[in-house]
Amino acid sequence: MSTPTEPVAGETAPAPGGLKLTLFISGASAASARAVRRLRDLCDRYAPPGYELEIVDIYQQPELVVARGVLAVPTLIKELPLPVEVMIGDFTNEPRVLAALGLSRAEATER
Amino acid sequence: MADVEDPGRRTRLFLPKSPTGIAGFDEITDGGLPAGRPSLVCGPPGTGKSLFAVQFLVNGATRYGEPGVFLTFEESREELVSNVRSFGFDIEGIERDGLLLVDALSMEPQVVDTGDFDLEALIVRLGYAVDKLGAKRVAIDNVEALFAGFGKPSLVRSELRRLFRWLKDHEVTTVITGERGEGRLTRHGIEEYLSDCVVVLDDRVVQDVATRRVRVMKYRGSTHGRNEYPFLIGADGFEVLPITSLGLSQDVSSERVSTGVAGLDEMLGGQGVFRGSGVLVSGTSGTGKTTIAASFADAACRRGEKVLFFSFEEAESEIFRNMASVGLDLAGWVQQGLLRFHCERPTTRGLEDHLATMQRLIRDFEPMLVVIDPVTSLARGATPFDVSAMLMRQVYYLKAAGITAVMTVLSADSRTEQTILNISSLVDTFLEVVMLSAFGERNRGLYVLKSRGMAHSNQIREFLLSDRGVDVVPVMIGPEGVLTGSARIAAESAERTTAEELSKESAELVRALERRRESVDAHVATLRADFAAEERLTRRLIEASEQRVEAVNQDRLAQGRRRTARPESDQQ
Repeated sequence: MSTPTEPVAGETAPAPGGLKLTLFISGASAASARAVRRLRDLCDRYAPPGYELEIVDIYQQPELVVARGVLAVPTLIKELPLPVEVMIGDFTNEPRVLAALGLSRAEATER
Repeated sequence: MADVEDPGRRTRLFLPKSPTGIAGFDEITDGGLPAGRPSLVCGPPGTGKSLFAVQFLVNGATRYGEPGVFLTFEESREELVSNVRSFGFDIEGIERDGLLLVDALSMEPQVVDTGDFDLEALIVRLGYAVDKLGAKRVAIDNVEALFAGFGKPSLVRSELRRLFRWLKDHEVTTVITGERGEGRLTRHGIEEYLSDCVVVLDDRVVQDVATRRVRVMKYRGSTHGRNEYPFLIGADGFEVLPITSLGLSQDVSSERVSTGVAGLDEMLGGQGVFRGSGVLVSGTSGTGKTTIAASFADAACRRGEKVLFFSFEEAESEIFRNMASVGLDLAGWVQQGLLRFHCERPTTRGLEDHLATMQRLIRDFEPMLVVIDPVTSLARGATPFDVSAMLMRQVYYLKAAGITAVMTVLSADSRTEQTILNISSLVDTFLEVVMLSAFGERNRGLYVLKSRGMAHSNQIREFLLSDRGVDVVPVMIGPEGVLTGSARIAAESAERTTAEELSKESAELVRALERRRESVDAHVATLRADFAAEERLTRRLIEASEQRVEAVNQDRLAQGRRRTARPESDQQ
């Protein structure tokens, strides 16, 4: 499957217990693009390096939409670390996103 | 369109329908749900919405060659598969045949809302499934889960609107289920977007008995039955009983069938009742209503016809014993397979369940005569209106099937008075058994209150139950009115005595007359003998007298000759 896995700067494989995310978006719409940009920005700022983000276009891979029980877009699934968390929305509510991802601003500022 | 000249054809072209295959539902909707459009099926929890949706898809796949997609938020795949297996639906088998796709979604309540979103993925996954199967049908069960799961009613509403638009554009016939809300059909008012067809399910508890109803609230551009119809979730799934939708156009039979009681046949113009008619036997407790019904059954079995006997008060064995005491061997008919009993306490299930069960048994057994003893038992836990409506449907159903119906009614119960009034106009023959009490006795009197289309007796007759059988005999009319029982017997014997005396007297007279005739005859004989003797004597006298006259004449001639000779000789 040509799932675009995007290793992040540093080229290091994600550390065990590192962040693994799947994002479902609807095509190349402006809203989708904005959501991707916002998520990347958040992760770059607060997540430890080496996180993995898979982006799924629901039009391109509907079978994944079915398999993962996705109804809304954007939907973000935090696969790792466990427990799996599901977020819907365009990440405008930053504190909630961070809480769901298990990240904190404090951690980031330390970094 | 080339078919515009043909109005019937045109209607069909404009309003194609998609049969649900649900017994009765396609009749009340005149063919099913609007094809290629979404329909709303709503009602409180537990009213059978999901089953309706599943059955719509299963029937579509297995009977009408229309593959379907089932999108459910209600239950898991495993739950769904096992829940409907008891109705005989093999979900997994149909899926393997590529005619059904179940997409079971769990709405995770722990979903975190981080901002704006839409439900495009819902449409995408549905579209994916529809394309994969070439589906013609879709069911979404139930949309309220989306509101609960996403918590943004206005957004979900507008997304659903988009979904319905999509479904219409793709011309898939869709069943959308919704939960009934306060003061409106669905909790979030989605009925506003589903204007083609709205079906409302209901499950009401009246006096501890639940009855399920279905109503087609709206059906744009189509005729449909507007009543509430009872439905049942039975062994075969969802079943609607659309009996009131039947017209009054059934063929009527002019064939007459015996009631099994000679005296009663006689009261009904000598031939009994019409085949396929409704007979109501009303009476107070212990008047022998069941016995009359059993006589009808016995007579039908004698004709080699099948009889289905619904007993709501007595067990089969009790009926056998009781009827054997009046010479009716019902057990024998059961052994021969001509008679079947269905005995059940009426309170165990709701009225509509009973009606449905009865109709299914009737369909399966195909009897010529049906006995319902007593119909008033069904009235428990139901309003009088319900009972009469149910009986009306039952009577129509049986009439349409050409089955003679014998129903008994316990009349002393004031609760059932209205029922009796309501159904009496439906039945063709109305027999009433009354207790006539006089001279320290209570005896059974039977009369024909009405009997359509035949001459019938206006008399009360006495209804006799004995070990020799059942009979109806004319009553005696005495100075105090109708006489029955021992009063009748006394009156009869008094009459007999009088008759004997009268006949003795007349015999006397006959004998006296005979004697007189004999004496007259003797007298005549004597006179004749006297006359004969006289006649003989007289004839002899006449003879003697004539001989003397002759003799005198001879003498005179002789003397004359002598005198003439002398002068002649003197001259010579």
